[in-house]
Amino acid sequence: MDFNEFKKCVAEEAKALGIADFELYYTCGESTELEAFGHEINGFTSSVEGGVSLRCALNGKMGYASTQALSEAEARALVRRAAENAATLESEEPALFVEGGQIYEEHPAPSYPLPDAAQLKKTLLEIQEKLLAADPMVLDNSQSYAASGTESVAIFNSRGLDVSVSAGIASFHVAPIVGNGEEMSNDYEFKLGDPAKIDFDQLIAKAVTGAKNKLGGTVPATGAMPVVFSPEAMSSLLGTFSSAFSSEMAQKGLSALRDKEGQVVAAPNVTLVDDPFFEGIAMPMPFDAEGSPTHKKNVIEKGKLLTLLYNLQTASKAGKTTTGNAAKAGYASKVGVRPFVMYLEPGTLSEDELLEKAGSGVYINMLGGLHAGANPISGDFSLQSGGFLIENGKKTSPIKSFTVAGNFFAMLSAIRDIASNLEPPRGGGATGFTSPSVLVDGLTVAGK
Amino acid sequence: MIPKDLCERVLGVAVSTGADYAELFAENTLNHTIEMVGGKVDAINDNVIAGAAIRVYKGLRSVMASTVDTSEAGLLKCARRVADALGEGKAEIAIHLSERVLANIHPVLDAPSSVANVRKVDILRAASGAAKEYNGAVRQVTGTFLDVDHNILIASTDGVYAQDRQIRTRLVIRAVAEINGQTQTGSCSPGRRMGMEMFDGVIDPVAVGKEAARHAVIMAGAGYCPAGVMPVAIENGFGGVIFHEACGHSLEASSVAYNASQFCGKLGQKIASEKVTAIDDGTIPNAWGSINIDDEGTPSRKRVLIEKGVLKTYMIDKFNGRRMGMESTASSRRQSYSYTPTSRMTNTYIAAGEDRNEDIIASIEYGLYAKKMGGGSVNPVTGEFNFAVDEGYIVRNGRICEPVRGASLVGKGSEIIQKIDMVGTDLDMGQGMCGSSSGSIPTNVGQPLIRVSSITVGGR
Repeated sequence: MDFNEFKKCVAEEAKALGIADFELYYTCGESTELEAFGHEINGFTSSVEGGVSLRCALNGKMGYASTQALSEAEARALVRRAAENAATLESEEPALFVEGGQIYEEHPAPSYPLPDAAQLKKTLLEIQEKLLAADPMVLDNSQSYAASGTESVAIFNSRGLDVSVSAGIASFHVAPIVGNGEEMSNDYEFKLGDPAKIDFDQLIAKAVTGAKNKLGGTVPATGAMPVVFSPEAMSSLLGTFSSAFSSEMAQKGLSALRDKEGQVVAAPNVTLVDDPFFEGIAMPMPFDAEGSPTHKKNVIEKGKLLTLLYNLQTASKAGKTTTGNAAKAGYASKVGVRPFVMYLEPGTLSEDELLEKAGSGVYINMLGGLHAGANPISGDFSLQSGGFLIENGKKTSPIKSFTVAGNFFAMLSAIRDIASNLEPPRGGGATGFTSPSVLVDGLTVAGK
Repeated sequence: MIPKDLCERVLGVAVSTGADYAELFAENTLNHTIEMVGGKVDAINDNVIAGAAIRVYKGLRSVMASTVDTSEAGLLKCARRVADALGEGKAEIAIHLSERVLANIHPVLDAPSSVANVRKVDILRAASGAAKEYNGAVRQVTGTFLDVDHNILIASTDGVYAQDRQIRTRLVIRAVAEINGQTQTGSCSPGRRMGMEMFDGVIDPVAVGKEAARHAVIMAGAGYCPAGVMPVAIENGFGGVIFHEACGHSLEASSVAYNASQFCGKLGQKIASEKVTAIDDGTIPNAWGSINIDDEGTPSRKRVLIEKGVLKTYMIDKFNGRRMGMESTASSRRQSYSYTPTSRMTNTYIAAGEDRNEDIIASIEYGLYAKKMGGGSVNPVTGEFNFAVDEGYIVRNGRICEPVRGASLVGKGSEIIQKIDMVGTDLDMGQGMCGSSSGSIPTNVGQPLIRVSSITVGGR
């Protein structure tokens, strides 16, 4: 049964149970993924994935149920399950739906011919050969990967909303392992887009250099010192603490930024932006997970928190309008709040000039264990790190097996400067985090 | 689920272009969660995951395709996609499935999937209320009641036709406490491969709520952990995450088969302190990480990974076993049908030793006592790992002193397991979700109280 037939069955069952308002959120993804090892393709995966989530209002409560099985019996069971769930809810949040007839900004997704399985295989074998030959230190257990697929999202509700968007995405990933006879190290690089326009030599060189740079790393001394976070490291910190900008977390008492709208929360050089249409994003989203139109906004402007991010429900509770940031982690998730592409606005210095300004300290380009060593509610973090020493204003020898510790919210006020090297987020899809390199004071490095 | 004769036909199509092995994995799973915020039911989510994946091998190559269409036509079409992707050739193997009826070593008495929401809400309310009432510093309490009814069928050309129903239940309580403007969190999240009977004598919801609140309140009053290299005593239960990260992942065939592990080629060699005997056991009755069969249909078993410091075996799945020239150890696991399975852990722990707890603490002149651990991660190629200390105390002159927050431990697995120089007697397990290439799966970690003679403590 296809989605349109499924919609009809759900509508009939909802009517039979006296449910006036409901919404179906549907995602579908098709992908082909290839893995290269040695001189051949050793893994091939083709998947079709997706599912549908029903939200319905019963006595003012929003019940949810989801499924991957599109059949008539499942459609009817889905409505009954959602109704039972609605009857159990106790929160006093209103059940709200977006009306049809909204006006959406138009930002088409990057468009290029998607490689089929045969083209993907040919490209990947070429990449793998280049990777194995890139440097004498590259070991023969280095791997590369390629994937191609389409993703689509559709929302349909009883108030006349009927929107959908889809995007085709090809991605390439190289994972060199290098060795010097004594130790091994690894790194990876990832690129989305038209394989005809990607410079794979450059991608491979960057990954191989990254892996080689980790060989022979030493453990730095313990102490407080200036820290420069690379774009990758700062992006992952932003992502880890981004839930603090969610009005949902604030309303539940789980954000340190609750009641801080309109106040100064960061250094005057900090402007934090959320942009669903960031140049180069794989899937620009004209609507959010409730179907509201999306737009670009400053969350922090010159240090002042202008707004948290809202969906319909949290906005209604706060007496505000939605910022178009309703989000679902997957089709089956409850509607929550999340940024699209969140980034720190770039400054004017090059990264080299930023390092010069730091003088001495550490440059961190790897952070590990963000899911465990960082607490988005308190802002505290203590994280495994890797990178380089900064001596006399320059990156010098590699360092590893140390931690960097501090508090994210205190750190926002201790950002001394921001470089100009902003790039699109590394991941695929509609969301991500990105940042230029930043220079921060007041953090502690624990090494030897 | 899918009858044997249809499985045989599907596998027949899958091997029609020359594969030397084919496997069908079908799944029907109900995931159900109830979220409570501030004592009120805030959200309920239930989701049916239903689909199948077909995988073939030819030598060291594998091809997998997945589908949500588990009708006869859908499965045959999926098998054709796999056969076409493998390339040209002709069928070379015959298929005869024989049903394997396995003893259910993890019986479930009261399946949560057939229980009304209200019973689960009552449990959440009891736990959440106990956390809120624990202490005036507790500002907020959130809770999750989570149950999974995971039904799988595996049929493969080596004759396997087996099914398993894997039910698990978990209660998660998180408390937020504030003291003098300092906000900290605490949690407690026990789970078992059991149904509602878990709450009849195994897990007490009130105790879970109180523990989450106790943890939050202690941390809200704690100062920062100092940074440096020092001896650390790591408590039992979830403390076992040290072995899981520092060593366990690097013993999985997914790294070892590709020569991408710090422990490649070390079988029979001493890789850890002789105090360390480490086990991965999927057969512990009703434990969080237990299974009757792995996701390739191999009956679950107990594996001694390290015995008195000597490496005895890796954790191996059928596909990676080919590259290693070794048999499966029943270690193949996947989150769901859409993930390619690979070798993973089940219930992994450091076995009880002979040191007394008081002697372990008394041996530390200045160091850290890590009472509660958080999660961590590792790079198996280098062995560099990290994990968070969620509740720590400074140890001075052999005595546990003030609590400290914000600590993490980092190091290199192969070095740290040599430095485990004291192992206590009181083995216990803690529950976690382990994320890796084949998705997020339930695993237990465990150990008695242990001492690591020196490790880098990340604090400030």
